[in-house]
Amino acid sequence: MKISLTINGAPRELDSAPLVRLLDALRGPLGLTGTKEGCGEGECGSCTVLLDGDPVNACLVPIGQCEGRAITTVEGLGEAAHLSPLQKCFIDEGGAQCGICTPGMLLAAEALLRQRPDPEEPEIREALAGNLCRCTGYQRIVESVRSAAALRRAASEGAAR
Amino acid sequence: MVQSSPVETRSPSVGTSVPRVDGAAKVTGVAVYVDDLPRLPGELYGATVRSPIARGVLRGVRLDPTFDWSDVTVVRAADVPVNNVALIIEDQPILAVDRVNHVYEPVVLLACADKAKLARAVRAVTLDIDPLPPVFDMEASLAGAQIIAGEDNVQKRYLITKGCADVAGDDAAVRAASAAAIDAVIAACDVVVTGRYFAHHQEQLYIEPQGVVAWWDEAGAHATGSIQCPFYVHKAFTKAFALEATPSRIHITQAVTGGGFGGKEEYPSIIALHAALLAKKSGHPVRLIYDRKEDIEATTKRHPCLCEITSGCDKDGRLRALSMRVTMDGGAYVTLTPVVLSRGTLHAAGAYRWDDVRIESVAVATNTPPNGAFRGFGAPQTIWAIERHLDAVAVKLGRDPLNFKAQNVLREGDVTATGQVLRSSVAGLECLEKAAEASDYHAKRARGPITLGRKVRGIGGAVFMHGAGFTGSGERYLKGKVAVDLLAGGRLGIRTASTDIGQGTETVFRQIAADAAGLSVDAVDFAVPSTTTCPDSGPTVASRTVMVVGSIVENASKQLAARVREESAKGGGTFAEAADRLIAREGLITSLLQYAPPDFIQWDDAKYKGDAYPCFGWACDIAEVEVDLDTFEVTVIDFWSATDVGKAINPVMCKGQIEGGSLQAIGWALSEEITWRDGHITNPRMTNYIIPTSLDAPRFQTILVEAPFAFGPGGGAKGIGELPMDGGAPAIAAAVEHATGVAMASLPLTPERLLASKHAAERKGV
Amino acid sequence: MSLADLARFEMTRQSSLDALCAVVTERHEKGLATILYAGGTDWMVEQEMRAPLAAEPPLVVDIGRLDELRGIACDGQTLRIGAATTYLEIERSPVIQARAPMLVRMAKDVGAVQIQARGTLGGNLATASPAADGVAALAAYDATVVVKSARGERRIAMAALQTGYKKSTRAADEIIVAVEFALPPAGSPWYWRKVGARRAQAISKVALAGVAVVDAGQVTRLGLGMVSVAPVTALMAATRALALGSPLAAITGEALDRAVDADVAPIDDVRSTQEYRRHVARALTRDLLRQLGAPV
Repeated sequence: MKISLTINGAPRELDSAPLVRLLDALRGPLGLTGTKEGCGEGECGSCTVLLDGDPVNACLVPIGQCEGRAITTVEGLGEAAHLSPLQKCFIDEGGAQCGICTPGMLLAAEALLRQRPDPEEPEIREALAGNLCRCTGYQRIVESVRSAAALRRAASEGAAR
Repeated sequence: MVQSSPVETRSPSVGTSVPRVDGAAKVTGVAVYVDDLPRLPGELYGATVRSPIARGVLRGVRLDPTFDWSDVTVVRAADVPVNNVALIIEDQPILAVDRVNHVYEPVVLLACADKAKLARAVRAVTLDIDPLPPVFDMEASLAGAQIIAGEDNVQKRYLITKGCADVAGDDAAVRAASAAAIDAVIAACDVVVTGRYFAHHQEQLYIEPQGVVAWWDEAGAHATGSIQCPFYVHKAFTKAFALEATPSRIHITQAVTGGGFGGKEEYPSIIALHAALLAKKSGHPVRLIYDRKEDIEATTKRHPCLCEITSGCDKDGRLRALSMRVTMDGGAYVTLTPVVLSRGTLHAAGAYRWDDVRIESVAVATNTPPNGAFRGFGAPQTIWAIERHLDAVAVKLGRDPLNFKAQNVLREGDVTATGQVLRSSVAGLECLEKAAEASDYHAKRARGPITLGRKVRGIGGAVFMHGAGFTGSGERYLKGKVAVDLLAGGRLGIRTASTDIGQGTETVFRQIAADAAGLSVDAVDFAVPSTTTCPDSGPTVASRTVMVVGSIVENASKQLAARVREESAKGGGTFAEAADRLIAREGLITSLLQYAPPDFIQWDDAKYKGDAYPCFGWACDIAEVEVDLDTFEVTVIDFWSATDVGKAINPVMCKGQIEGGSLQAIGWALSEEITWRDGHITNPRMTNYIIPTSLDAPRFQTILVEAPFAFGPGGGAKGIGELPMDGGAPAIAAAVEHATGVAMASLPLTPERLLASKHAAERKGV
Repeated sequence: MSLADLARFEMTRQSSLDALCAVVTERHEKGLATILYAGGTDWMVEQEMRAPLAAEPPLVVDIGRLDELRGIACDGQTLRIGAATTYLEIERSPVIQARAPMLVRMAKDVGAVQIQARGTLGGNLATASPAADGVAALAAYDATVVVKSARGERRIAMAALQTGYKKSTRAADEIIVAVEFALPPAGSPWYWRKVGARRAQAISKVALAGVAVVDAGQVTRLGLGMVSVAPVTALMAATRALALGSPLAAITGEALDRAVDADVAPIDDVRSTQEYRRHVARALTRDLLRQLGAPV
């Protein structure tokens, strides 16, 4: 089946059996290995991507349902030369240790900040509750998201002026 | 005007939270974990056929004749040149030969280019096994009615004695005299308490499952994977493929690793051997990545541990005598059990002063998957026991537990259970006082449990120490090495087998090297750990990476920088220019150093006496919990940890280790549990093996304490990786007891168990 | 099954509900299964655990964006939620927030946001597990399930839906189209509480959904649904009868416990124990009645 979709803002096309998992389509034919597989059952969230802006587990989405839809992966958040505030804060504040949960965590945080630019801590924790981390204890991740939210608000206020 | 070279700097990096150097790759998704490696030409997928029963005689392996095996590689025990997983004892086959001793024991390996066909091939293999009666219970194993391993199921024993229980010789009569002596001393004490404490399995649950890609070429055998200890895998390969004479024909490389916590210490040797066997037989590269279910089922877990304790103390609370029996379940094969039991035994007396000690420990085999390394490595289990025991003693004395523990905590100059005089770097009391102050522990404790609606709050603490580095003369035997190269422009390149598995090795080593050389952190490179290019620094375990290997990095960097500065003084120029001149003149300039352990360490491996560890890290954890009286759900509201790290090289990373380790301890205490039926794990999935989410994790308040260790790098850094695992569980149990009156002696503290305990207490009229 | 077997499946879409019904019934009459795929959060996980495919895989029809199965509509009296409505859409719906807030609260407890973005009420009803939070919530609203097949449309009351463990009166070829229920009066007391092994990403050990109308110290309407205490969603008939049968002030804890005991049949399983479930079932029910004003 030919599937046309938008990935990180760019139109992409692939030929794939429709029930192949989005996760496998991303990591295989689409060449984007930033999205990780930790459990294959929608529990760990390390495969989180944004589907039309909402966070989903790519291990549970068939590529056939992605026709005409927009996907954002970690590769779409920023490159090393131009890290987004979220990415930068994760590095600076210890939000990433082994890094395997980080791509999924960043996407879940990105989805949150798009909806709630000034989230309280309980909201941050709830938004990240589907992303398991075994290294950090979550506190540094929460701090990273909070710092990034402040940076984003400052940037948008600056831009608005 | 003298221009300083861009590599040099005056501002020290140690003590600052330099952002992790591998961070950009991780947050942009370009870090290459093993399953991100591009497929090699002709690469096959690998799979493992495992025993479905816990114990039996393997009569044969049948391949379904109606299945098309033409493009499937099949590897069996007969294909393995030397069928032993090299570790401590050669009791574990790489593939089962004629016996199986645990469910999930590997028997047959398969490889195929077609993943779907491979899955069908696994089901087309039948193992003919005549069942034998299995033993699942460690006390039953010790009792020996059914022998499943060796002559008596015993994998290892230790005996630690101090004071009256110290008797010369090792025969049965002497041991009996030793036991009688401690019993007599205890019986004469004012206050005697006996208790039984149990700590259960725990799965490491690194979020990246285990995996290896292996291939053979003209250079020999290659394996790249999610590996903590490349040289462990290397050693396993030299044995299995009979390559001891040509070790340079084995190339083991660490891929970016998504968590290990000990779970990827020794187990990767097995998965790498399996991949390499398939690669050898098929003539193709093989990718062997476990899915989560197989990972939870087949890989190692924390050793279950039963501690039986009797102690005696004075009326005024001074601890006198301790008698302890420690029993650990090693699973079907020995693997690292002798070392886990050792560490557990050496930590069993806790962070306290005792006049007389007798700790007898034994590890036995059961027909369960072999247990292995997991952060803490035996200590969390015995510390759980001694902390809960002293909580019970405190109740009997009518004393606050933390107050009672403060009275007895080891101080500088005190002598441990192995006879080690703690000369320096002792911070137990300081940690206790800081944690108590930060948490307002004493006031909250005095107020008693606070009921708010249908919930009740309580607070409790644990005091603990953890030996940093290998036991006794371990480092002397290990001879760990690090190489630091001088590179163009005056840059330094660190080559070490110590891996970054999230804890920050790559960054912290750069900081240590930079400061030792007077350079900026950006001027230091860190080579990908590979046995081909890096010397054996020893394994990334035992809280030794910063303290031990980091000190080699420090010395090697200092040495190299001194040479450059000498050249600069002689011939002028900046550091970079002098370095380039040296390189032009001498070619490759490397400082290759071996670890020189401090001279003062005296350890008797036969008697288990002396300086067990170069130094200890100290900590006090305090947990405030809320227990729902309707559902017995325990919420950790706040968690304070005052932790002595010697010297915080990178404070954010230190706190990250403390918070992460503490949450693992909290998970172990409250929700993580492996459930079994007939030797099968019935919850081998993330939906049923429950680790905390961000909503379950408490707010952590971490206080870094620094009691520098004179031989630690960067001004006194000590090991920090495991210490945070040791205190969370007993702190929570103490808090739950304060809140509800329910004193739990066994983990985990699930709501079901708390309810059952409460009901049992009510029936007894307590 | 190897996930690689997923490559063997075909997926189609139908342009209308009627066309879908025709396909499903036609295939059913030939003994062929059809997978109606909305969010797939249960199905995809089940595939991983199944044995490898021996025969031809069933046809999968993507119904996630079939308009006739979507949408939240309110005519003032009745709320209609399309079967393919996700939990996230429920949480974001102003009318559900205003008039059926218990559904919003329940939706937030389903897995985590990634599951909520894909899981649907229809999928929950189709899986028909007694551990389904959504089903219990709908039971508390006394909802009606609208199903359709080539034979026409039918309405099944929640109370008549489940006949046994994962068994339903819905025929194998009847498609779940929507759920409908009469809106309780604005401001009616409601209850949702889930007890799981952790605060997110947990299947309920026990959960209780309740919707009530209280008038002058008397419960005049009460819908209940309890999760994971019986082979089907427990509708709590004895508990309802007790609550409806006397003024709140006259209800005793002991009587309530006895009613709950009659309404549940919990078991030991990998997630919890019979003893714990029974205890929590009683505790949650007392909690609900207490919130309504009973001295329990």
